[in-house]
Amino acid sequence: MPPIGEDSASLKFSQKPEWADVVPVLQYENVNPLAPIFYSEEYKDATDYFRGIVKSGEKSDRVLTLTEAIIRQNPAHYSAWYYRYETLLAINTPLDVELKLMDELAVKYLKTYQVWHHRRLLLTITRKPADELEFIARSLKVDAKNYHTWSYRQWLLAYFNDEEDLWTGELDFVDTMLNQDVRNNSAWHHRFFVVWGCGVREGEEDRSRILKRELIYVKQNISLAPNNPSAWNYLRGILEHNSAPYSALKDFVAVYTVPHSTDRTEIVDLELPPPDKGAELPCAQAIEFLADIYEQECTREAALKATELWRSLANEHDTIRKKYWEHRIRDALEATKDDV
Amino acid sequence: MSTSTPPTELFISKHVSYIQNLGESKDDLAYHLTAHLRLNAIYWGLTALSIMGHSDALNREEMVDFVMECWDEEAGGFGAHPGHDAHIHATLSAIQILIMQDALDRMDVDRVTKFILSLQQPSGVFAGDQWGEIDTRFLYCAVNALSLLGKLDLMDKEKTVDYISRCRNFDGGFGSVVGAESHAAQGVFVCVAALAILDRLDVVDLDTLGWWLSERQLPNGGLNGRPQKLEDVCYSFWVLSALSILKKVPWIDADKLTGFILSAQDPEGGGIADRPGDMVDVFHTHFGVAGLSILGYPGLVDLDPVYCMPADVIEKRGLRKGWKGLERREK
Repeated sequence: MPPIGEDSASLKFSQKPEWADVVPVLQYENVNPLAPIFYSEEYKDATDYFRGIVKSGEKSDRVLTLTEAIIRQNPAHYSAWYYRYETLLAINTPLDVELKLMDELAVKYLKTYQVWHHRRLLLTITRKPADELEFIARSLKVDAKNYHTWSYRQWLLAYFNDEEDLWTGELDFVDTMLNQDVRNNSAWHHRFFVVWGCGVREGEEDRSRILKRELIYVKQNISLAPNNPSAWNYLRGILEHNSAPYSALKDFVAVYTVPHSTDRTEIVDLELPPPDKGAELPCAQAIEFLADIYEQECTREAALKATELWRSLANEHDTIRKKYWEHRIRDALEATKDDV
Repeated sequence: MSTSTPPTELFISKHVSYIQNLGESKDDLAYHLTAHLRLNAIYWGLTALSIMGHSDALNREEMVDFVMECWDEEAGGFGAHPGHDAHIHATLSAIQILIMQDALDRMDVDRVTKFILSLQQPSGVFAGDQWGEIDTRFLYCAVNALSLLGKLDLMDKEKTVDYISRCRNFDGGFGSVVGAESHAAQGVFVCVAALAILDRLDVVDLDTLGWWLSERQLPNGGLNGRPQKLEDVCYSFWVLSALSILKKVPWIDADKLTGFILSAQDPEGGGIADRPGDMVDVFHTHFGVAGLSILGYPGLVDLDPVYCMPADVIEKRGLRKGWKGLERREK
């Protein structure tokens, strides 16, 4: 008899009368454990019963109760997840109910692969991706850079690609995330995925217009916070992807490679947004970029200019990568040594 | 952990004791190894000991027997713990342990090969187990395992390489699946090491990726896994290993990284944490020591960064690829 006041949910499975017909299978204990498991009595009890269920092959509602208990204690128990999934299908459980339960677990166990894989499996059956975007956005509020969460969003969009509406709000979503944190590398990666990495949206067929739009966007964000590797990586990425020359950015970048100028014009030029007044200048990423522009000119004169910039990085602005910058210097000088 | 000046030497004997005592530390409840990791944890412990020159600090027979207890007769592979379903990651760990303990004959090579091959998907990537979770980590586990068993030719290499190239991102890095963000561990290391084994490093943009990897180093000397995230000792291996395969380890500041790893040690109890001041665990102890080995830290044994096993073991099997770490320094 359970003690007064203790409800059934807190009893171990070995204490519950409705589980009396199951033969629990104890974990193999005889081998001297080299890397022992430290588990609670409740977990041991639940997994003993899990092994019993697996042995008998039972697929029923109480198996869902049992696997949920295990997962809550150890969200990485991949066997329990798999058996749960098979059970859900075998007994025809309404999967949106399962998804609601998973909503709670996903937020609690964000860094676990299994939580997300289970969701993927469910979605391939329910085929209702629209609600998922909302769920993912909520998850990201808890951990804005969670790798699994973003990867799941990318999977969802790619898998249900032909549902055009799914993409409608996506660019706005990325924008929202970047407004919250312009240094969120996952958001910048996602932007690349949305714009360049997963097909072309209706109305976006004019790729040169899209490139223009994205250049303005990334330059704006660089001007707000110049010392942001993710934004500069995005800039390089879109130029490379469209085989556009770095040199077109020379005027924009140059301003970021020197300390703040005292005689700044206040004219707003979308093509040349200047660094935010509070930004720390010169910006190392800008110096890198300008050096690359010079290097791409492939003349000795330009190589020497690049060398000067790399030297400033090696000796002052990015000393931890001194050897890398010295390598770039050697490389460029070698490449142009015959150019007089 | 001590709050006095950070450690500047590697406390090998402390770490050896730490690993040996993993079985005994019953009062260390914060340190929790769950069943889904046990076989992997043994591999981390054994490899760390080997790099520190103490490969026989744990009982060989007991270890090999335990590995065999993890055999899943139905699936023809190894689970992470006795009674667990076979999984590709656990299977790799089992193979690695058996090879390091010179006990591969205990295993049914054909059945294991069959199990691994059965996990290859039409796209070229590998699943982890029958549950179907896919990831480039599992791809690496498959390629590594099959290579160690001498069965690499039985897999569809073209498709695998094709999948990896589709995981390549605009920044030169690789993600865990097609479309995912570049990540030093679950994208870059696994893809680059798999490509090294498959002799297909042509898929890598060496300069861009080398630069991206060198950009992982933060002012405190530690390495992170992607831009604008925190440093973590384990990236000392993932990033360094990839760099050594690209032969660009000099592109990071070795002294500062060494200092960072050493400062994450527990000088009293042994073990290494993810960053200074945090709880130690065998995972970070292994990867911290592995990173130091690649950096040429004196007194350590050479580690093969492609397979993450002692270099001489890999060389004996004729599997050494063209990687380059820093020269081993004298004590």
